[in-house]
Amino acid sequence: MALKALDIYKLLPKKNCKECGFPTCLTFAMKLASGKADAETCPYLDEATKQLLKGATRPPILRVKIGVGERSFAVGEEIVLFRHDKSFVHPPGILFLVSDRQTTDEIRRVATRVKDEVFPRVGELLRVNGIAIRNDSGSPEAFGKAVRVVEETAEFPEMLIAGSPASMEAALAECGNYRPLIHAATAENHGAMCSLAKRYGAPLAVRARGADALRNLAGTCAAAGVQDLVLDPFPETLGEFLITSTLIRRLALARSAPELGYPVYLDATAPGLEEAALSLGILKYAAVMVTTPRNPASLLPSLTLRQNIYTDPQKPIQMTPGIYRVGNPTRGDPLLLTVNFSLTYFTLLGYLESSRISCFLLLVDTEGFSVLTAVASGKLNENMIRDSLQRFGVEAETGHRTLVLPGYAAPLSGRVEEATGWKVLVGPRDAAEVPEFLEQSWKKAPGG
Amino acid sequence: MAEQEEWTGTIGRVLLGATRGDGGTRSVQYCIGGSRDLPFLPGEAPCGKRPLIALEICDDPVLWPPVVREQVGDLAGDTAAWAREAEKTYGADLVRLHLTSTHRRQTPDPDGMKKTVESVLAATTLPLIIEGSSDPALDSEVFQRCGEAGAGERLLLGTAEADRYRSIAAAALAYGHAVIAQSPIDINLAKQLNILLREIGVPVDRIVIDPYTGALGYGFEYSYSVMERIRYAALKGDTDLAMPVISAAPDSLTVREVRDAAPADRQERALSWEFHAAFPAAVAGADIVCVRHPLSVKRLRDACSALAARQKGTPAQGGG
Ligand code: B12
Ligand code: SF4
Repeated sequence: MALKALDIYKLLPKKNCKECGFPTCLTFAMKLASGKADAETCPYLDEATKQLLKGATRPPILRVKIGVGERSFAVGEEIVLFRHDKSFVHPPGILFLVSDRQTTDEIRRVATRVKDEVFPRVGELLRVNGIAIRNDSGSPEAFGKAVRVVEETAEFPEMLIAGSPASMEAALAECGNYRPLIHAATAENHGAMCSLAKRYGAPLAVRARGADALRNLAGTCAAAGVQDLVLDPFPETLGEFLITSTLIRRLALARSAPELGYPVYLDATAPGLEEAALSLGILKYAAVMVTTPRNPASLLPSLTLRQNIYTDPQKPIQMTPGIYRVGNPTRGDPLLLTVNFSLTYFTLLGYLESSRISCFLLLVDTEGFSVLTAVASGKLNENMIRDSLQRFGVEAETGHRTLVLPGYAAPLSGRVEEATGWKVLVGPRDAAEVPEFLEQSWKKAPGG
Repeated sequence: MAEQEEWTGTIGRVLLGATRGDGGTRSVQYCIGGSRDLPFLPGEAPCGKRPLIALEICDDPVLWPPVVREQVGDLAGDTAAWAREAEKTYGADLVRLHLTSTHRRQTPDPDGMKKTVESVLAATTLPLIIEGSSDPALDSEVFQRCGEAGAGERLLLGTAEADRYRSIAAAALAYGHAVIAQSPIDINLAKQLNILLREIGVPVDRIVIDPYTGALGYGFEYSYSVMERIRYAALKGDTDLAMPVISAAPDSLTVREVRDAAPADRQERALSWEFHAAFPAAVAGADIVCVRHPLSVKRLRDACSALAARQKGTPAQGGG
């Protein structure tokens, strides 16, 4: 159960010696209660109290890091059941599955995809996070060899899937120091898997069907000293996953079952239902997922859904307002007004770049709202356009006073001309038509 | 937060389609709504229901997504045949007919429209959603004719909005239909519109909320969260939001990622893009999910069935 600041205060030495870095024991208690301090920093606590405080003040869902280096990713630390309550925090890691029965070439091909494939989207790079290698052969040698092939290709997070501790050990000998996720400790093998996880300091997935069984097994593994756990509820259907993962998230957030306060794993390779499983995992609390190496045609939608769902609902992905140059614009080239919603900017940019147009873009601060949304809500108006023209010294750059407005901002055109003294051209609504519009209208415009 | 949330509300039920016994000609009547928990959770419904899947068709395909026109070929020119295939070949639960001919600036042809609705009613035995005029000037004529054409069939008529709801409400009341109430991704606006409709006499069991669904990558996350919030508010006891929800992300098949896909990948990209807004809408609690690509129907149905199944081998029924 979570402790309140006063309950914590009662457990402190009350010396007010400031050695923890806080002015009083009470302040320290308040910081602990809100998760902003670590019990370790008070030198006068006995071990038992320290452990008690750590359990009570840890984040409801522990952070687990998988892999090392640039491509490593962290999961856990989630604080809500619904994204609209605040925001989801760490997007789930998606791993491509290979089998140690596949040929070296096949494994290498998948690993190369994981290394190189990126999908740029609205200013972010979408990609798969790593690779999961499964010990289908049952042989430790074959498993170790498959891991070696992956290791030779690149550095990215790995997950090792094997039921036998001997196989796991062979694979860990290849990559154990790079924090691979070990899958899985089960009722049968948890002793051996726990010691491997401890020996290598690697995160460990715990597999048991349903929340109760998981709670027991995770408790056992934590007691054995493994700190970084991931829970695999081992569902038979998508419906069962939804029910169990929701229950785990609820219990963890309520802190009523600390043994369930870990990130959740989902094997999304369900035959014929893979994209549904991936979607469900993204929406409903999976933190690590394994999928077959999907065709990019249907992988991109999954990655886009993950990007959407893990965007802070309070803050659309935004661009810094200001003047942006497309191509190599010189004085006299067109000036286009748009908003600072990054989707809008990148959509427009895509069409302008592909038709090799040089121009200036004035991004005004609509707090990340799209053109139509900003117009509908009054966030895009003549006064802020006037102020932006001044603030960013636009005229000095362009050498003319003609501004192209988005088609959806047409209702503002008269007022903008009045407020700014600039000539306004109303462009098309659809960005796809902007290049053709500029070809035809800009040359005729007085500025051009 | 407790292990199990305490709910006080229930989502209201709406009946769609009338069989012979109820004075219509449909082969089935659906009852949507009725949930008592978050979507697909154990308390929701005892029978493992999945959402209904509507295939959208239109009477004038000029502006319809190219990937769909390629798929359906000549059907696009024959609304009744298209509707029949929606039922027989593609396995939709409902057909949603968009009277897109009203988009074009031509003299409206209310009699023609009425005939179209009648021919679709004759071609399929499924309950229908009719999406009427998209021009306020035509509303009263169009809804009146559509309502009349489907009198007694318990159509779902679309779409009422905050500044345009009187004609459609009048048609629904006169001929016994239900209405779609759409507001732009905002729980308070959704609530307001439901109140407006109620005030002019539309009973709550004739309203289906459309919270407006943006395509994946184009605002979908807002729509997803609004659907979750609506369900949550309703379960917490807000009766002005306790109606079933319909979701359609009509731009899914024309987004840039589909248009720019290599020709060999385009169909798969389109299907997957549509799926990734439709399936999450079901997860968020939509009772009816609409798609435009005919091959999306099975894909979505299989996924929703797997979601409604608690254990292996328990098939989920649509609606009803
Ligand atoms: C997601 C969304 C939201 C999100 C905000 C997302 C965001 N970051 O803006 C939320 C939920 C917050 C929202 C809120 C509102 N929304 Co809203 N929203 C949408 C939705 C579904 C998608 C918007 C989007 O992302 N578009 C994509 C971007 C890329 O489009 P864009 O910025 O317009 O850019 C395009 C063009 O303008 C052009 N372009 C861009 N720059 C330039 C520059 C030049 C020079 C040229 C020529 C062209 C050009 O190129 C781009 C690509 O073609 C639209 C529906 C739709 N299909 O548009 C409704 C929509 C815009 N919203 C609408 C409304 C009414 C609202 C609200 C006022 C209602 C409310 N809910 O309270 C609020 C206002 C916000 C507030 N409360 O203050 C209405 C607007 C109605 C109208 N015609 O005026 C719409 C159309 C929905 C509808 N049909 O009712 N919305
Ligand atoms: S170090 Fe310990 S005893 Fe000293 S002020 Fe901080 S909490 Fe109190």
